[in-house]
Amino acid sequence: MSEALDRTEVLVKKAKSLGADEVIAKTTFGRYRQTRFSNNEVDITVAWNDYVTDVALAWKKRVVATQIRNFEDAEQRIEQLFNLAKVSKENPLYGGIASGKFSYGKPSADKEVVNVEHFDYIQAAIQAAEEEAKGRVEAGGTLLTSYEDVYLVSSEGPVGQDARSAVELSIRAFSEREASGHGVSCSPTLKGFDPSAAGRKAGEIAGLARGPRGGEEGVYDIVFDPLFVGSMLGMYAMMSSAFYVMIRMSIFVDKLGEQVASDLVTLRDVPAGYSVAHRLFDDEGVPTKENVIIDHGVLKTLLHNTSTARLFGGQTTANAGLVVPTAWNMEMDAGNTSKDNLLGEVKRGLYLTNTWYTRFQNYATGDFSTIPRDGIFLVENGEIKQSLKDIRLSDNALNLLKNVVGGSKERQHISWWEARLPSLSPYVLIKDVHITKPK
Amino acid sequence: MNKDVAEYALEYARGKGVDYAEVRAHREYQEAIVLKNGIVEAYIQSVDSGFCTRILADGGLGFASTNKWTEDETRDVVDIAYKFARSANRRNKIVFAKEEGAEVKYSVEQKVKIEDVDPESKIAQLSEVDKTLTSLGINIPARVIQCIITSTEKYVANTEGARITSFIPKIFATAMITVVEQGHPEQAARQFGCSGGWEFFDQWNIPEEISHEAKVLKRLVGEGKPLTPGKMDLICGPEVAGIAAHESCGHPMEADRILGREMSQAGRSFIYPGGPFWIGTRIGSPIVTTIDDPRIKNSYGYYEYDDEGVKARPRHLYKNGIINEFLQNRETAAKLGTRSNGSSRSVNYDREAIVRMANTYVQPGDMSEEELFEDVKHGVYMRSFTEWNIDDRRFNQRYVGREAYLVEDGELKHPVVRPTIETSTLNFWSSVDGVSRELVLNAGTCGKGDPSQGIPTFMGGPMIRLRGVYIK
Repeated sequence: MSEALDRTEVLVKKAKSLGADEVIAKTTFGRYRQTRFSNNEVDITVAWNDYVTDVALAWKKRVVATQIRNFEDAEQRIEQLFNLAKVSKENPLYGGIASGKFSYGKPSADKEVVNVEHFDYIQAAIQAAEEEAKGRVEAGGTLLTSYEDVYLVSSEGPVGQDARSAVELSIRAFSEREASGHGVSCSPTLKGFDPSAAGRKAGEIAGLARGPRGGEEGVYDIVFDPLFVGSMLGMYAMMSSAFYVMIRMSIFVDKLGEQVASDLVTLRDVPAGYSVAHRLFDDEGVPTKENVIIDHGVLKTLLHNTSTARLFGGQTTANAGLVVPTAWNMEMDAGNTSKDNLLGEVKRGLYLTNTWYTRFQNYATGDFSTIPRDGIFLVENGEIKQSLKDIRLSDNALNLLKNVVGGSKERQHISWWEARLPSLSPYVLIKDVHITKPK
Repeated sequence: MNKDVAEYALEYARGKGVDYAEVRAHREYQEAIVLKNGIVEAYIQSVDSGFCTRILADGGLGFASTNKWTEDETRDVVDIAYKFARSANRRNKIVFAKEEGAEVKYSVEQKVKIEDVDPESKIAQLSEVDKTLTSLGINIPARVIQCIITSTEKYVANTEGARITSFIPKIFATAMITVVEQGHPEQAARQFGCSGGWEFFDQWNIPEEISHEAKVLKRLVGEGKPLTPGKMDLICGPEVAGIAAHESCGHPMEADRILGREMSQAGRSFIYPGGPFWIGTRIGSPIVTTIDDPRIKNSYGYYEYDDEGVKARPRHLYKNGIINEFLQNRETAAKLGTRSNGSSRSVNYDREAIVRMANTYVQPGDMSEEELFEDVKHGVYMRSFTEWNIDDRRFNQRYVGREAYLVEDGELKHPVVRPTIETSTLNFWSSVDGVSRELVLNAGTCGKGDPSQGIPTFMGGPMIRLRGVYIK
């Protein structure tokens, strides 16, 4: 057993000796490096090392948590935490944490990501963007490399060790002041990392986006790029958490077993080795697994920890965060056609490549708007006719799911500033989407 | 927090012959209580401490942080930041504007110290909010009350002589409710924040404030009517004026955004060198003045010195309708040939300080609220908002009313269901023809930065009246 795991276990034993009913401690040694660039130059490179142990304990159904960063007084902090539990209030809905011994696979993290020189990757992405845009671009973005050693000990049996790595490049290229494209490449290992592909995507869209004119209000059939779909999947993932359903910040309240989407829609949470969110176990130490949330349009499960699963009469889905259930990596199943065929089905519609600033009027009904950015294209008879700007998608999250009429075979891994939850997203065609514009 | 380690880091960096170095050390006590439908979901208490160094060398910037306070780790952190700065390999070298290096200590007074209020009392006060809601006779199946406390000791030291020691306690509370009437759910959320002691929790009167929201939602379902779209007058309450000031006055005036440094995340600005809008250009009517002022006592965005050790002061963003002064840090100020105005902020020791707002508001005018309403023949009073957003140039924005009423011949009529204004920054602020006297400020968390740095702010204003804008 490693020293870190030993120290984590000591904290669990300390809490148990004080009288805690259940305790989980998770120690993370994280090393993060990020280079930010804009106007084709490096602005700053930042490094942050984080040494932290998250501890959650329950005593007579009183749930308390802390983060310990100074290990010299760690045991004293556990005493303080236990004392806090004694004066806190009972949560009658608390259903405990996972118990038992589990076996986990081997971590597949790539230690090499810690040592890579960022500059060459960024240059490769910018160069690819300029080549694809067929002219000079102003490019900005980030390159993040991270490596985490994770040690988890639960008083209820689970003991685990994991290593998690990621390399993520995000590049936005401007060919004109109001013409831009965005691309990302993200991978848990250097092997699957392709910064030039991200640059080519950003450059291609930036080139097509030149000379935009104001878009018009209306109802459109729209082809959504994987980057846009990634943002939407993050929204549906949050709403799939049992916690958010319980507080009604979700369109999925009382919808289990119901058709909530077109039968072309299958959404899964997959913390697999090929995702930057890969992990062997959740924050209770339960081995992670694939969960089908929506199966051919039918809502099959919410995402649970042990406690919320008991409330809903089921089993944990291994999505425990330290307090609330959370998705790891959302995937939308691939369709059976190509991006070009999806565009070919559009008589008069739009191709939207990215979005940001998604806000809800009402999470329970799903009414929201979001602002497309980067390439926005008018599509007529399957062909891109005109670059557009200044529009807003103003619709309903359930309607979008129900109006999906096609998806591509091709999928892309998405993770960037606006879509923090990693996803694997296809191109998607949705009919009858409402677009508004400023007046 | 160990100032000696911070000083050691600074001297070690100085020894490398850097153009500029700063060390920022934090020690933060954190407390969070989450109450879900009257039940304590979790109570979280933590202490976080660490420090960072940022180095300017050879025209490049490097930053590194740690939460280990050892001399070995300190040297590692400085070495890494120095290496990053040297390897930036920039054609356009970064230069920092020179500023005075002050030696200052300041702290926020707490009439009721947060640490003197025991956890039971805090839980009891949050529970009181929930009890009030459940006693209203309104169906409110989801009630989430949260309170987040941070007490931050900070030490900022740099090679220009700044030595700023501060202590700022902050309290942030949120209440979110879902009211279901006639089978239809409606939602509202409120936020409260301060720099100060626990006395503010009482002053906010959250039970009454959130009860008002519940009653408004119930009435909206029962009596609300959709609006016939068209051009009409719009009276915005302070909450709506505040979000508009934050989104379309504050954000576009951030100099890092203007210069493109945020181009791939939060975006650029409709204001840019060589563009149609710049300092001196009209952006609103002559009665529109918007200000960002970090020094408002007990405000949620309060500070006296920024995270580059520069003294804070009020910034008049739009003055009498004219673009007047950008929000600057040392880097942007040097590029634009001016001085920093103390806008550099970071949420913690492990994040780079960047250009941020503090407390952004519309300057009050000379009209009474009655005068604003009395000559509105047909319009909408939007007291508060729900959905909102703005494009990444900060020009195309939208605000949807949460509590809103039809106004006919100067009088309030029935509630209006989700009236929406979707317009440009130029049209919004050019349409303002009346500003009331009373300033109201609300707490909010501003998002920017990669990794994301949600930072405490106030936003607000008096009531403002817009003439002849399209509402749907």
